[in-house]
Amino acid sequence: MLANALPTLVFYLLAAISLTLAWSVVTGRRILRAAVSLMGVLAASAGLYLLLDSPFLAGVQVLVYVGGIVVLLVFAVMLTRTTELLEDHPSRHRQVIGGAVALAFFGLSYCMMTAPAFANRALTALPKNDVAAIGRALLDTGENGYALPFEVVSLLLLAAMIGGIVIARKPAALVKSEAHHG
Amino acid sequence: MADFLAGHAPTLTHWLVLTSALFSIGIYGMLTRRNAVGVLMSLELCLNAAAVNFVLFNRYLAPTNLGGAERLDGAVMTIFVIAVAAAEVVVGMAIFVAMYAERRTVDVTRLDALKD
Repeated sequence: MLANALPTLVFYLLAAISLTLAWSVVTGRRILRAAVSLMGVLAASAGLYLLLDSPFLAGVQVLVYVGGIVVLLVFAVMLTRTTELLEDHPSRHRQVIGGAVALAFFGLSYCMMTAPAFANRALTALPKNDVAAIGRALLDTGENGYALPFEVVSLLLLAAMIGGIVIARKPAALVKSEAHHG
Repeated sequence: MADFLAGHAPTLTHWLVLTSALFSIGIYGMLTRRNAVGVLMSLELCLNAAAVNFVLFNRYLAPTNLGGAERLDGAVMTIFVIAVAAAEVVVGMAIFVAMYAERRTVDVTRLDALKD
């Protein structure tokens, strides 16, 4: 009985944690604290992947999202720190528009997601070794394979890396004048 | 207590409500945040909720008879989503740093050079 009760308990615990932290990500006045909350949300999502029997995705989530993306965001916060450390609360006008759009989306998707088609679905079977199955699917050139998207994503990452360096570096004229003065 | 919890295991609908609530919070943040990095963080919330959804649909709705074996298309899609999110944050951070060097602010309400 306990074995059945535990996943339910963990699900609702993770749901409460991620919703609370997500709310503090979007409303917190200290942007660095929001970044830490985002880290919590993403770590909780790693827990959700574990609940869905996808330990490999949980590992990828922790490595790439928590370890990489959040660190990049923290760097972005530190490199663009303005004199006012505390962000103002958004104006009433923006709050109303944002809340209306968000609630409209939630209402619409809630109506769709409580449809009877989704109500009584059982978990489908997973391959025995899901890491090997994911690897095979990524490199499969057959009609159900993902070899081409995989290569496209590797090109995208390369382009993003080069683009990031080119956009963020100082303009050549500035570097030259600094070297001249130095 | 244990009986109650075991009888109320989350179904697909519960999971979907959770992820769409996370996505809605992300939308709210995108529309209300003034710091551009904050907007990017809200966007990450949305991407993350969508990525969880892919795994969910894979676990609950995937046809198992395609190709004679169990399929993991949702998990593969989640990996692509995470890779695209990483690329997007790299470019976003570079743009913010360049923008800050140029204009000394990343407040999205004051960045309206393309408006006029």
